[in-house]
This record gives sequence, structure tokens and C-alpha cells, in this order.
Amino acid sequence: MVKLTIDDKVVEAEEGSTILDVANQAGIYIPTLCSHESLSPVGSCRICAVEIVTNGKSGLTMACTYPVEAGLEVRTGSEKVIEARKLAVELLLAQRPHSARIQELAQKLGIEQPSFALKGRECILCELCVRACHEIVGTDAITFVAQGKDRDTDEASVVHSVEKCIGCDSCAYICPTEAITVEDVGDTRTINTPSGKLEFKLKKCKVCGNYWAPEKQIEYIAKESGTSLEEYDICPNCRD
Amino acid sequence: MSKVVFSSWTGKIVDNRGLDAEKYAEVENLEFPLQYNGREIEAFMSWNGVVVADGRVNIVDMAYCYLKEVQKLSCGECNVGYAGIKVMTDILERISSGKGGEEDVELLGRLGTGIKENAKCEFCASAVTPILDTIDYYKQEYVKLITSKQAAPKSSYIIRVTAPCMEACPAHQDIPGYMELIRNRRFTEALELIRKTNCLPGVLGRACVAFCEAKCIRSDIDSSIAIRALKRVPADYEMSSQSELKFEKKGNGEKVAVIGAGPAGLAASYNLALMGYKVTIYDEQPSAGGMALVGIPSYRLPKDILKREVDIIKDLGIEFKLNTRVGKDITLEQISGQGFKAIFIATGAHLGRESDIENWKKEYEGLIDGIDFLRNVNLGKKVAPKNRVIIVGGGNAAVDCARTCLRLGCKDVTIVYRRSRGEMPARREEVEEAEREGVKIHFLALPVKVLTEGSKVTGAECIRMELGEPDASGRRRPIPVKGSEFVMETDMIISATGEAPDLSFLTGKEQIKITEQGTIEVEPIKFQTGKAEVFSGGDCVIGPATLSEAIAAGNRAARSIDQYLRTGKVIPSDEDVVENWLCDVALGRERDGKIFASEPRQSPEQLAIPDRLRDFNEVEQCLSFEAAAKETERCLRCYRVMLLAVTSEK
Repeated sequence: MVKLTIDDKVVEAEEGSTILDVANQAGIYIPTLCSHESLSPVGSCRICAVEIVTNGKSGLTMACTYPVEAGLEVRTGSEKVIEARKLAVELLLAQRPHSARIQELAQKLGIEQPSFALKGRECILCELCVRACHEIVGTDAITFVAQGKDRDTDEASVVHSVEKCIGCDSCAYICPTEAITVEDVGDTRTINTPSGKLEFKLKKCKVCGNYWAPEKQIEYIAKESGTSLEEYDICPNCRD
Repeated sequence: MSKVVFSSWTGKIVDNRGLDAEKYAEVENLEFPLQYNGREIEAFMSWNGVVVADGRVNIVDMAYCYLKEVQKLSCGECNVGYAGIKVMTDILERISSGKGGEEDVELLGRLGTGIKENAKCEFCASAVTPILDTIDYYKQEYVKLITSKQAAPKSSYIIRVTAPCMEACPAHQDIPGYMELIRNRRFTEALELIRKTNCLPGVLGRACVAFCEAKCIRSDIDSSIAIRALKRVPADYEMSSQSELKFEKKGNGEKVAVIGAGPAGLAASYNLALMGYKVTIYDEQPSAGGMALVGIPSYRLPKDILKREVDIIKDLGIEFKLNTRVGKDITLEQISGQGFKAIFIATGAHLGRESDIENWKKEYEGLIDGIDFLRNVNLGKKVAPKNRVIIVGGGNAAVDCARTCLRLGCKDVTIVYRRSRGEMPARREEVEEAEREGVKIHFLALPVKVLTEGSKVTGAECIRMELGEPDASGRRRPIPVKGSEFVMETDMIISATGEAPDLSFLTGKEQIKITEQGTIEVEPIKFQTGKAEVFSGGDCVIGPATLSEAIAAGNRAARSIDQYLRTGKVIPSDEDVVENWLCDVALGRERDGKIFASEPRQSPEQLAIPDRLRDFNEVEQCLSFEAAAKETERCLRCYRVMLLAVTSEK
């Protein structure tokens, strides 16, 4: 256990836990967007900014990624912190003005309108889908593209790999801005992403006749768990 | 020291505006010349500030053009950096085209400060610094354009993107670029990117001395990124996945001869073949690789790794004439007579430096030169292990010899080095591993006389040394301690005190000059010898050096050869010249560094000691994909965009 101060309050915390964990336990609110309890933090949205003093240096860092250490001083409500959070949220709001999650964050920070315009983007590159696809699903179907100094685009984006995607819809589920959506019509699942549509054939249950999961996902699960494909002829609802 | 109108370089403000030129205060901290390729630099903008040499450049136009380049590199992995730079670029475009609004300057400042304080990595956070400087010190230029609604006059700029690690790498590989791709597990693309400047990724991923890691900014926080070990990951991935390689070749078909199939020769051939030239490589050894083949033991670089990467290069349609020593089996003149339009000499430095130990006679049993010893072992010749061995020297070759001796079964292996540990030129990790394996190091001693019984070596008379004043290399000079002689008993002495090029194939009639150091003289940057169609690079030009320097020389020589064959002349491009100009800029230095949490470096696993010494099995293992991805997350992405405004060519 280490002792640190958050907003002049001395708290004890387990070494290695993040400032966000410790603040939440201490009942201190820090707004977040790209952080998720089941996924490793990356600090991409920059909303959970806090000011820290460590080794005589002070500056902003992300509460979701910074591990606490003995003697750390954290300020969650300083002028610098509020301004940083406002700018981060304004930048998101300018891109996705209709997103409920972003509107809610803006409201909490007292932002009505962003002070600038930015070409609308569906995807805010929060990497929640990238991490869910890698850490939970294990398919690595979604990654950043076009990197390195000689890349021939100035638009960063994450894309789904048609070969690797199994159509499980975890990405649509976790996307905070509805940039990825899923639609099941008849025997087809469509995953709509900013970089295009992906279609998957759905499997029909032998008992109830409902289409219940993409065939590709079932094949993946069968392969990963070492079970036979026949075990998936019947949907979970119709199994005993 | 320079006299300029304005400088905010490294945060020190010198403002001479409104003064007569003779009254200008001098800028003391300018680390680079204001001349470039014979042209004057009017202004310079980069991560560490703005330098305005004279009033000719419009600062707003410059800021806009600079940030446009920054935006191209902004990766998207952080909202504030990526979206923020986009908004700032839009605003600068607006102002510079005469469409700016009153609130725009303030907004620029707010965004710049926000990015500086809250962007995720080093890149965007440091890239906005010069923009903030222009707002602080050239605000009236912005206001002028906004109120007059006039567009800013345009200048032309030279742009270069680099990073401390990239600049330290002789081949200037796009290290932050492949770090990102590895993090995203895009190994094939990472390898494509690496191959643009390094045709031997698996070889360098194992045996590179990694100048990049020594300059890595991460070491200011905890320890440098494991760049070398990371480079190996996509190379090993490609090998295990057996993916087919696709290369796009251009066809222009003229014949080029390359002498020496070492890293420099291979790199030149690879680049020339991709440009469409028909390349023939000559090499005296039975297989290709040069020093990578005969100098690096296979516990560091397995032979099949080298062979595979050579085969990939070969598949580009290059003809290999092995077992052919130029100067013996074929002369340079005969090669010239075979229709080759250009020749690249990359014969390396394979001659052991003559030992100056008294009574060193080649015919004695138990005396051998380090490079000959390593070559024999590497080419599979029978080398009978001796019980006790002394290796003289402190470089990588000495350590390679010592660790090789252990693997051959020698019981007692001692490196004798005349200076102390701190001055050893060998890589620290190599020295540590050698010691863990059982190599002893006797510091501050120098063998001065070979002791024999009949023709058999029995020992070395040594003298103790002490360190005096620093010499030309900056290391303290070893001085013999009078009367401190002592005897070390041994069955074998290996002298690994340096190598030199063997230029005996040059007859003196070729118009190719040899320097006082015994290397081939070439024109800097161009790699062209006194004979227009003959180029040279690698160890035979700079003396014994590293794999990465050889590859860099091969890459650049290929560009020169291509230019020569297309135009009959070699004129270094802007890119080539800026590359050298930049060497003087201290890229590592930082204004207002951000706080980063410490993260331990991921190190590859090493084979257990008993398993190592049985044979020549590879010691270092490949990082796992997970460990590799984790390691790349430590990369601070210290790209630096540099924008130079230069006077137009006369």
C-alpha cells in the first residue's frame, strides 16, 4: 500500500492501481470516455486529465493510465485540469455533435458549443473496439491503419479486417458514439463501420428456426473451444 | 554563434528586430549552420523553436506549412493531439489565405497550449512549440493578415522528418513508424517499412549495435525502447508464417557489378535491383553475408537467418558469383570489360591488424588473429580447442572470440584489455553475457611478449597499465606501469585489436585513391571514387564499423549509382544534404518535457547458460507478440518535423 494525496485528501491505495481506480474508490468523480473496466486503459480520449506533482515535476497526466506511487499529489479540479478536459470534450463534440455520451460529458463541463468547427467524423478513435476485439474476442480484426512517416494519408482510421472479423458485434456494443452499428435482417448480419459494411451469414436454429449467431463466429468458437460444429445446431434458448 | 533576426531555439529568446544588423545580439545555442548546400537558410522551424535569419519569410505561411506536415504525422491515437492539430491547421490555413477571424489567434494559442499539456505522446506535444512561439512573438503578423484580409505570400520549403532514434541510425530507419505497426500487430507492414531502408531486418534485429537505443528519449524516464529486439519480431513472424514477398521492380536494366556480398554490397544490390538494374555480386566466400557471415558467431546470428534474407535479395534477380576473389580469380579491369556501367566496391575490412606483440610469429602454434579465428569457425573449418586462451582487445570481435572459445570447449578464457571496463568499445550486454558464461576479463593489462617453448605458445608476458589523459577517441589513454611485468600462462593468444581493408586488388592504375588510413577515398554523400563509374562504401571506406553503417552506405551508394546512370552526374538531392546538415542538431534536447509514468523495458529471454555452451545455439530469443506490443507502448513517438526556408537556387 502507498500513501498519496488526491485534492489534499490523504488516501491509501494499492501500488500499481491507477489514479482513476483510487479516485473512484475515494468517491471523487473523474469524467471518462475511452476507459472501460474490462479493458486495459490507453488514455486516448484525454478527458480524465488530472494534474500531478511527482519528483518535483508537475503536469497533466491521464488518471486512467497513471499508476499511483508513494507521495504522489493529484489535483482533479484545478483550472488547468478543467481547461484540459473542456478542450478534449470540445474536440469530440465538434466531431460528433449528436452523440449522447459526448453531449452528457459536455453538459457536465458546462460546454454548450465547441469554440471551433471540425469536419464531422463518426469514429473518434477511442480504441474501445480495437481493445475489445483484441483482449476479449481475441481476433485482432480491428487495427489502426496507415502509419509511419511516409504514410500517404492525413486521416488516421481504424478498420475491420474482412478476413479476421467474425461478426460478433462486440465493437458495435462497445462503441460510445454509434460509429459502428449492427443490423440483423433475415439470415444476414450487417456490421456498419466508418470504413464500410461487413456482411455475415447467420446460422439458423434447428429447433426454433431463429437466426441466432453468425456462422463465422460459431466456427471461431468451435475452433477455439475444441468443440464440434454440430453442438451449435441449436440456439442457446432451445438447449434444454 | 550566429546573428539572426529572431530565435526562440531551445526556449532562449533572442529578438533583434528593429536593430541594425551590426548591433544584433548573438544566438549562442544554435546547434546548426545557417548554410545549407551553398544556399542560405532564411528561417527554420521545428520542435524546439523558430529561427528567423532574415525578414524574407512570412511567418504565418511558414507556420501553416509546418503544421500541415505535422498533421500528416499525427497518429490518431490521442484525441487532443490528432483532432487538435487538425483544428489548428484549419485555422492557420484560414488566416494565411486572408480569411481569418478576430478570435482565431487566441483560439490557436488555446489549442496549442492544450496540446502541449495534454497530448498523449511526445510528437504533437512538442510539435506545437514553434507555433506557440510565433503567437507569442509574431502576433502582429497574424493580426496584419486578419485585418487586411490578405493572403500571406508563399515561400518554398524543404521538409525533413526525423526522430532522435532515426537520426542516430545510420540508415535512418523509420523507427517510430514500425513501433506503431508492431503495436497494432501489423507485422507484414512493419517489415515492408523496415525493408525500405534495411534489407536485412532479421540480421540487424539480432546483431545491430543499436545506435538508436543509445539516443532513445525514453531512457530519460526509465530505459530505452528495445528497438533492436523489436525489429526481430516481424522478421521472425514473416519467417514462421512463410508469407510470400512481393516486390515491385522498375525496369531499366543496365548492368552493375558489386564487389563484396557483405551488408553494404547486399544493400546496394537490393536497392539497385528494385530500381530495375541487373546486378552481379562477386564474393570470395562460398556464401554471401560478408562480416555478417564470417565475423558474427552463429549464437548471435544463426546462419539460416542470414541465408534466408540473402535468398530474398537474390530472388530479385541478382546474380551471385561466389568463391570469386576479385584481384585473384578475376581482376577489376576484367569486370569493367564485361559491360557493367557502374561498379560498387564493398570489400569490407577483413584483414587483421598486425599484432605488435614482441615475438608474434605466425608460424607459432597457438597464435591467431581474431578475424581469422572467427572466419575459420564461422565457415565450419575444424578449430581445435585449447585449454587456456587469452584474447587481446576490448571490442565486439574480442568478445565474440572469447564466447566462441567457450563453445569450442576451451576451459579457461580470458580477455586482456589495456583500459578499464568503462572504455571497452564492445556492447555492454555482450560483455555481461560473456562474463555470465565464464569469460574472465583482465582489465588494465597489455600482453607485450609471446612466450614459447619450441614453436608452441606457453604464455604471454604482460604489463599493467594505468589510465592517463584522454586521447583522440575521448577515452583515457592507457600508460604502462614501469616494472609491473607479469606472466600469464596460456596455450593460445588471439589478437582481436582491429581490422583493416584488404585493398590488394587495386593495382594503382584505376584512378581510385587510397587514404592515409588505408581506406578507399570517396566523395562524401556521393560515395563516388576518383573514377566516375566506380563507387565504394562500407568498411573499405570508413574502416571497420557496423552492420547498420554498411547498410546505410549501400542504400546511399545505390541512389548515387542510379543518378549517375540516368544523368551521367551525381548531385546530392536536398534530402541527402539535409541529412548531413541535420547531424548538428541536438534532437534529444527538450523544452518543457511531459510527465510519463515509468514502465519496465521488456527484454527477450536468454537461453540458460548450460544450454548455450554445448553448441552454437542462438542465445537471445524472440520477444513474444504480447511483450512486443507492450514494449512499443513505451515509445514516445519523438518524430521531429523540420521546415527550412532556403533562398532559391541561383
